[in-house]
Amino acid sequence: MVVCVHLPRFELLVAAGEGSQVGPQTLRGRPLAVAPPTGTGRGGGAGTAGVGEVSQAAEASGVRRGMALGEALARCPQLVLLPADPVRVAEQWEAALQALEAIGAAVEPARPGLAYFEADGLRALHGTLAATLAAARGAAARGALARGAVAHPVRIGAAPTRFCALACALAAPSRRPLVLEGEHARRWLATQPVGLLGYREQTAMLPEPLARLGVRTLGELTRLGRAALSDRFGEAGVLAHGLARGQDRPPAPRRVQERLEESLEVGDASSGLALGRVLGVLVRRLLARPQRAGRSLRTVVLSAQLAAGGGWRERVVFRQALADAERIRLALSVRLLALPGPACRLGLSVECFGAPIAEQGVLEDRDARAWSARRAARAALLREALAQVRSLAGGQAALRAVCVDPASRVPERRVVLTPIPE
Amino acid sequence: MSARALNRPRPARVRCSGPAPAEVDGERMQSLRESWLVEDRWWTAEPLRRRYWELVGCNGRNVVVFHDLCSGGWFRQSA
Repeated sequence: MVVCVHLPRFELLVAAGEGSQVGPQTLRGRPLAVAPPTGTGRGGGAGTAGVGEVSQAAEASGVRRGMALGEALARCPQLVLLPADPVRVAEQWEAALQALEAIGAAVEPARPGLAYFEADGLRALHGTLAATLAAARGAAARGALARGAVAHPVRIGAAPTRFCALACALAAPSRRPLVLEGEHARRWLATQPVGLLGYREQTAMLPEPLARLGVRTLGELTRLGRAALSDRFGEAGVLAHGLARGQDRPPAPRRVQERLEESLEVGDASSGLALGRVLGVLVRRLLARPQRAGRSLRTVVLSAQLAAGGGWRERVVFRQALADAERIRLALSVRLLALPGPACRLGLSVECFGAPIAEQGVLEDRDARAWSARRAARAALLREALAQVRSLAGGQAALRAVCVDPASRVPERRVVLTPIPE
Repeated sequence: MSARALNRPRPARVRCSGPAPAEVDGERMQSLRESWLVEDRWWTAEPLRRRYWELVGCNGRNVVVFHDLCSGGWFRQSA
């Protein structure tokens, strides 16, 4: 039995949560939408980008997720746009996933607010399916609330396949799960609207043409036949046919690994060259963490809280796994150019590690060996001295002065003091 | 711990004669070397507007002070 955990309008609730100008108390009843990200529109400009998640009041006015901003505002002139906050969304979603994993679930995250796991293996742990679902509901709600100001509603569905479980979660009432089994699940799925296909990336483009063709339910879709759907929609049509008949692959749980993260309040170094220097500090601090254990970095996530509200987040996959601070900084500093506005906090976290890379020079060279030995001895002495100074005078006794913006007209912005990594 | 700035402004007692400072922390100023205006972060809720004065004291030492045009206070700072 596959369980689907759905937290409706997750991104919208996070955007309207802590730090928002609108606030959660005013969320109810107002037409809201997550503003399109700057500079990532379909036509390359911000003006053509689609809006993000929308509130029920906005939906009632005809605004839909992904709709062009101009069209959304034309349909609903009172629409309130909230700046997207992908950083807080990722944080709160990660907390919810970790809470689900804490009850023993091997979770496959589909997107923020939507996750699946296989429940059969958890019955021994929690007793019954109902107890497992109750534990999942509590864990997801607690996890999402742990880092946010807004309580997220949780909808739970359980069915033989992921797609059917998703349909159950979307149809489930707010306080109890919808559980369907066997042939009954298949029959029920046939009565559901084809709009459900929009939740799957591969079939997201199908609901609109199917609606134009007069196909309203998944049952009507299956009656069209696999060959006709393949002829008309290609691979997506074949997949949609399988999904509508209750066929889907089992959940593919994510690989759990430790999370390494560094962040820094950037103060006045909010953009340009100064922010690039802060990035350099972050990279060095991340590489100095003992948990890295000599491993290289394969994929990292660069994130920023923007001074004007909202956030920015970019996943960077290196061409080859890196452990050299300067190369990592160079690769990431290019991404900072895409920052939509001045930042107040910059963060860097490791999403995937590469193989360990030896960081010394040529091992056979006697001079190089002697040099690296001297360097290691000096580093050990410095570490010892640092530990002694800190134990005598406190954690903030030993700091490093970093030139962040030497050409700034405001003198206190030129140099900042940062902690020396241990 | 987050990063913190070096060379933060320190409050100063300034007596003016006309627009320029004549005395800083009890020390008489002999001549004015330069004056400049710094305006920044005007797009935020905490804009920065400062009129800097670089002066030479009676003992020949350089002194840099600024008048915060938002709060009205005087501060000393190494420029």
